[in-house]
Amino acid sequence: MAAARRLKRVVASQPGFLNFKSSSESLSGRRKRVNKNKKKSWNKHSDINDVEEFLEDVRLQERTTGGLLAEKSDDSLFFLDVGQPKRAERKAAEPIEGKKRKGKTPRPLRIDLILQQDSLIPAPKDVLAYQQPNAKKLRRISQKAEQLAAKGVVTRRQKRLLSRRPVTKEAKKSDTEANNNPNRDYYDIWGQEQSTVKDSAEDWYLQQTGKKRVKRPEKLSDRPSVLPAVEVIAPGGSYNPDFFSHQALLKEAHEVEVKKQKEEDKLERQLAVNKDDTATEETVIREQVEGLVEEEEEEEEDEEEAAHDEEDEDAEGGSSLAKKKTERQRKREKADKIKELRRLDSKRQMDHRQQLFQLRSIKASIKQQEQSTEDKQKIRKANQEAEKSQPRRLGKLKFQAQDLEVQLSDELAGSLRQLKPEGSVLKDRFKSLQKRNLIEPRERAKFKRRHKLKYVEKRAFRAIT
Amino acid sequence: MGGLQKKKYERGSVTNYITRNKARKKLRLSLPDFRRLCILKGIYPHEPKHKKKVNKGSTAPRTFYLIKDIRFLLHEPIVGKFRDYKVFVRKLKKAYGKTEWSAVERLRENKPTYKLDHIIKERYPSFIDALRDIDDALCMCFLFSTFARTGKCHVQTIQLCRRLTVEWMNYVVAARALRKVFISIKGIYYQAEVMGQLITWLVPYQFSHDHPTDVDYRVMATFTELYTTLLGFINFRLYHSLNLLYPPKLDSKAECELKEENEEDYALNSECYLEKLSALSASLARMVSSAEEEEAQLDQFPDEMSTNLGKREQKEQEAQKKLFDGLKFFLNREVPRESLAFVIRCFGGEVSWDKSVCIGSTYEVTEETITHHIVDRPNASTQYINRYYIQPQWVYDCINAKIVLPVEDYFLGVTLPPHLSPFVEEKEGDYMPPEKVKIMALQRGEKPAQEQEDEEEEDEDEDEEEEEDDNDDEEEDEEEDEEESEEKNLKKMEKQRSQVKVTPGKMKVENPERLEQEEKAEEKRLAIMMMKKKEKYLYDKIMFGKKRKIREANKLTAKRKAHDDAEKANKKKTRK
Repeated sequence: MAAARRLKRVVASQPGFLNFKSSSESLSGRRKRVNKNKKKSWNKHSDINDVEEFLEDVRLQERTTGGLLAEKSDDSLFFLDVGQPKRAERKAAEPIEGKKRKGKTPRPLRIDLILQQDSLIPAPKDVLAYQQPNAKKLRRISQKAEQLAAKGVVTRRQKRLLSRRPVTKEAKKSDTEANNNPNRDYYDIWGQEQSTVKDSAEDWYLQQTGKKRVKRPEKLSDRPSVLPAVEVIAPGGSYNPDFFSHQALLKEAHEVEVKKQKEEDKLERQLAVNKDDTATEETVIREQVEGLVEEEEEEEEDEEEAAHDEEDEDAEGGSSLAKKKTERQRKREKADKIKELRRLDSKRQMDHRQQLFQLRSIKASIKQQEQSTEDKQKIRKANQEAEKSQPRRLGKLKFQAQDLEVQLSDELAGSLRQLKPEGSVLKDRFKSLQKRNLIEPRERAKFKRRHKLKYVEKRAFRAIT
Repeated sequence: MGGLQKKKYERGSVTNYITRNKARKKLRLSLPDFRRLCILKGIYPHEPKHKKKVNKGSTAPRTFYLIKDIRFLLHEPIVGKFRDYKVFVRKLKKAYGKTEWSAVERLRENKPTYKLDHIIKERYPSFIDALRDIDDALCMCFLFSTFARTGKCHVQTIQLCRRLTVEWMNYVVAARALRKVFISIKGIYYQAEVMGQLITWLVPYQFSHDHPTDVDYRVMATFTELYTTLLGFINFRLYHSLNLLYPPKLDSKAECELKEENEEDYALNSECYLEKLSALSASLARMVSSAEEEEAQLDQFPDEMSTNLGKREQKEQEAQKKLFDGLKFFLNREVPRESLAFVIRCFGGEVSWDKSVCIGSTYEVTEETITHHIVDRPNASTQYINRYYIQPQWVYDCINAKIVLPVEDYFLGVTLPPHLSPFVEEKEGDYMPPEKVKIMALQRGEKPAQEQEDEEEEDEDEDEEEEEDDNDDEEEDEEEDEEESEEKNLKKMEKQRSQVKVTPGKMKVENPERLEQEEKAEEKRLAIMMMKKKEKYLYDKIMFGKKRKIREANKLTAKRKAHDDAEKANKKKTRK
């Protein structure tokens, strides 16, 4: 590079050098006098425009023509002008037109043309791209390996690689295998029941590394309801039932329906408009004349009330103005009180003494009490037992039993072939889960629109109409 | 006195409960995930005794969980998986949004999944625990296996359920464990006895689904997820208990028989095997050859504990297991194939069907040795002489009655006797429909006479039963009271004493049974006489209740008789 550059400079300095640009150097009047004894000032004040321009020119020449014009041969720079070759032009023009019409010419896009490299100097090679680090060493190693292979010697490194267990892909697959894969494997999960007595060291290890599973609380193993998982339908639900059991089932279903109907009726009754509340002619008239006719009566009533009030006040005033008790009265009252107390006391003592003779009846009464408490306990216990099989209130909604599956007498099929299944087993299972308190009864989530719907006429639609 | 004021709702029952929302927040899970976790771990909401106290004075209805349960949930490794899944979904959404298909693929490959094995082990520490909880699992799997593959749930789940149920049915067939069947309007109830546990399950009829809207499919799918895992492990264990290969294999002999040239028409190659298994017509391969197995079974040690009664029951069961042994059935195309094939195979019968109905048929209609041809039409077009043409109900009734019933009542075009529920257990004195009485008589080995006499006999039967059932029955006659009868007896005795006569002696034929009975009755009478007043009162009360029951039952039978008579009269009229 450096050599080439120097050459260029030497060439350019020769008198026969042609400049690409017309040099229009005009020397401005006076030169400033500056000290150039320091590098900084030298850099600042020495004029290098000419050199820069010259170099720029050299670069331009190299870029556009591929070298310095001065070094080019004349043939490459000039040609003999003998007028325009007419035929060639026509021939050239026609096919272009034809192609244009057909649209087959893959004329490069303008953008591609712009982006094309227009410099004639080849891009410098990236040396590092071709260099390999440690090439020499690697080459040596590979050569040695080849030699050893030719001799049949296996290196230790290779041995180690070979002895390594192959990575099984299946193991990985089982990790990502879905739980419901129909071809999944099962194994004897209860097989190691006897060997569960692990040595304490392992136990300790698991505990310390935090890998030990937490023990399941005992209480979780009892079920939330005593109901069986599968409740068999009543005998009347047979596809070809016995007459009486069928009737019994129908009756049961009927009772359920009647109960429902009753509730509905009750609600309706409560919601119905009361006949007394509706306006009749009479009430309308009364309303219209209200305040005109009945004033006098009311006044009378008012007066009466006022009289009553006064009387009441009198009574109260009398009580407040009680006369003062005399000393004698007080004494007598006190004596009375004491006497009464004594009497009561003696009576109580008497009763106590009498109870000795009432022992039998007392015993009987105690027994009765105990009996009654026992009965109550029994009832409460029975209730608690019954409650265990009842669905609990686990959430917002109460459990609602499924409709009884029933086929009326005329719906019953004569044979298995004509049987029409009643109800859905899926729903039955779902309700059973709810009934056994395994899941809480829920409503289907309602669809809630977050934003209001906006109606917009579509453009295409408008165009048609 | 003094001290800090006690704050409300910081002690007592409040501290034991936590609301659902709080629990959810504590676990950092969304509500659906929380719900799923609770179902998988078997943690259910709890209703507190004093709601207002627990709810901090508010009476708003809330779902409560026990706080200790939630604390237990915190240790579950699956919670982490749920969170991973949430992140996975988010990433996947993003990749979709940016239409980065390679990223989507990569994410899909590394989709986080979880296993429920450890939960099964934790919830059911022993095999018997698991077996006790299998009813639900079976119902759910049978239900899901009948779903159409329409996107209500994953197709894979449906396939897995189908596989597991087929395995279960094959096990029941191999173990001959089926006990009862009941065809109801809802579906078919089966009951099997597996390792001493009675297991009941409900199978819906095929093609009968209209999907109800008020059922939460997500919850059901979660339950199914748990139950498929459970059922798989149970199946494994059960198969090994019978020395069968676990992913079940057909017997090599049977496999050859079943091989057909046009298998491809029925199912894809991949599904063919499952279909053949589900046909239930062939036996399964064993780990040890079956001959050895049987020999091993023969030398059973007599159990000292088993009482006489137990032995009789055992014998009955053995007889029931071989109910259809040696019988050959052919199913017409209109009968429910799977149910019937399952049931017949469970009791040792051979079964086949038309080739075009299902894969796995073993013999043709024209086979000479067929004994029973099951048809569900008013009449069959071509009838072979040496076989019975019967309606399907016969098979089910036979199973419930534990004997091979006479086929006359079940011929084509005959009005069938009612299909009684085997799950009803009548106590003594309850009303029994005459059909049941008849079956019981048959079970005892009595032969019913002509139809006309049937009813009379039924009455007799009833009487006999009462005598048989217990000695108590003697005192249970309607009008007679215990003591009254005694008095009468005494009077009679006195009369006999007073009439002194000499008659030529007769040989007394002593019936030992009769004597024994009398002795027992006498003992009983004495025991009653010795009762305390209180006990006596209780005893009388019980007896009164029993009598009332009997009276009611008798009323019902009388009603039934009247009903039947009326019907008969009607029939006669119509004939004329």
